[in-house]
Amino acid sequence: MKSGFRVFLAAFVALGLSWCGFVLAPVLQLGEAKQTQILNSSDTYPIQRTGDATLGLQVYRANGCAACHTEQIQQSGMACDVILTSAGKNSAAVSNLISNLKLTGLTKEEADAASDKITAAGGKSETHIAATGADISRGWGIRRSVAADFLYDSPVQLGGIRVGPDLANVGARLGNANWQLLHLYAPQDVVKNSAMPPFRFLFNVQKIGDVPSSDALQLPKEFAPAAGYEIVPTDDAKNLVAYLLSLRVDVPLYEAPFTPPQISTNVPANKK
Amino acid sequence: MNDEPKNSNPQPEAESKANGSTVPMWILSLTLVLIYLGAVYFDHHGGWFDPQVYSPYKNAEELDSYQPKSGAAAILAQGKQTYDRICNACHGADGMGKAGQAPPLAGSEWVNAKGFKRVTAIPLDGLNGPITVKGQQMTFPSGMAAMGAALSDSDLAAVLTYIRSSWGNKGEPVTADDVKAVRAAFGGHPAINGETQLKTMPE
Repeated sequence: MKSGFRVFLAAFVALGLSWCGFVLAPVLQLGEAKQTQILNSSDTYPIQRTGDATLGLQVYRANGCAACHTEQIQQSGMACDVILTSAGKNSAAVSNLISNLKLTGLTKEEADAASDKITAAGGKSETHIAATGADISRGWGIRRSVAADFLYDSPVQLGGIRVGPDLANVGARLGNANWQLLHLYAPQDVVKNSAMPPFRFLFNVQKIGDVPSSDALQLPKEFAPAAGYEIVPTDDAKNLVAYLLSLRVDVPLYEAPFTPPQISTNVPANKK
Repeated sequence: MNDEPKNSNPQPEAESKANGSTVPMWILSLTLVLIYLGAVYFDHHGGWFDPQVYSPYKNAEELDSYQPKSGAAAILAQGKQTYDRICNACHGADGMGKAGQAPPLAGSEWVNAKGFKRVTAIPLDGLNGPITVKGQQMTFPSGMAAMGAALSDSDLAAVLTYIRSSWGNKGEPVTADDVKAVRAAFGGHPAINGETQLKTMPE
C-alpha cells in the first residue's frame, strides 16, 4: 500500500476533528456549568432533584418516555410590553401620549424609546419581557430551555420526537400528583383521545383489606378494577410522578430573561 | 465525415491526464465569498460559542440589553437581594425582628415615616440605645453597626425601598439621590445614640 500513511493521516484528522466538535467543544463550552442565580433574586437554580425524583428519572428512562416526549422548549423571539405604573402629576398629557403609542409586542429598543417618552412626560412605566414562539403559545412553557435546566440530570432526557407534548415544564403545568398517577394508569380517562399507552404495570391490583389504601386511585367505572379490588401505585410510579412534578422551567435566568407574572412584596410574609 | 481521431498515436493512453487544468477562477471566488458571508453571519448571530447566548439572542450585547434593569420590580428585587444578604440575619425574612437582637421593621413608625432621612441614617451610621417601636420601648445590648456604610447609594436605596414597601409597610420609595444627600449630611457620624438623638435629626 503506497499511500498507507496518508490514508491513516486523513482518517485520523477526520475522526479527530469530529471528536473536537462533538466532545471537546461542548466540554469547553459547558463543562464548567454550575448553579446560577435566578434573575433578580438571591435564590440559586437549579436545585438538585429530590431523591424520589432522581430515581424517577431512571423510571422515565427505562420506560422510553423520551421516545415520544421532548424536554426542550423552543423560543423564537421576545416581546416587550410597556406598562404604565403611575401617570404622575400631568396625567392628561401622559394618557394622551400613551393613547398614541404602541405599547405591546415591542422590541427592546422600541420599548425603551416608549418608556423614555413616558418618563419625559412625567409618568412612570415598567417594561415586561415575554418569550414568544410556537411552544410558548401552546402553553408548554414560559421561556426556552437552557443548559442550566439539565444540570443535575444524568442522562439528560432531551428527546427528539413529539408524539406527546413537551414535558420540560410539566411540573408547573400539571402539578397535581393524583392527576399524574391517573394519567399514567389510564391516559384516556383524563385526556380524551390521548395517544399515550397506559402504563398499568407501574401499578398493583390488590384486594382491599380492612380499609382501602390511602393512595388507591379513584377511577371511573370503565377503568375501575373488579369489586373488592383496588389499584395502588408502585414505588416506580410514585418516583416517576415525583420526577414529572420536578420538571419546571419557570424561573427567569440571565440567559433566558423574562418578567415573571407578578412580583408583589406587599403581602405580609406570614399570609403567603 | 472523417471519424478518425486526430491524434496520431493509435494507442489509447493508460490514464487520462488533466493536462494541468486548475479549478476555475469563478468557483474559487464564489467559495471565498461564501466563506466570507458565512463568517459575517456567524459573527452576527453565533454568539461566539458563549454558553449563555441562546437563540433568539444573537450575541452577548443583545442578551444584556434584555436584562430587566429598570422598573419598580427590579428595584424591589435588588433590595430583597441586599436585605437577604445583610439585614435578614437580625431583622428576619418577615421583618418582624428578633427579641434581644433587632426591632421589627414591619409596621414600624420609623420605617413608615414620611421623610426618608432618619430611616436612611440608621443603616448608614448604626444605632445604639433604646428605641420605641410600635409603642414598645426596646433595648438591644449589641446595637446595630453601620451596616449601610459599605453599600452603594443605589443598593442602600433599593433595600430601604424594599423594606418600606414590604410586610404591609407603606413608605415612599427612597432614591439613590436621597441616600446621597443623607450620606453627605450624616455619613461617618458615630452610631446614633438612641431615639433621643435620632429625633434631633431632620425627618
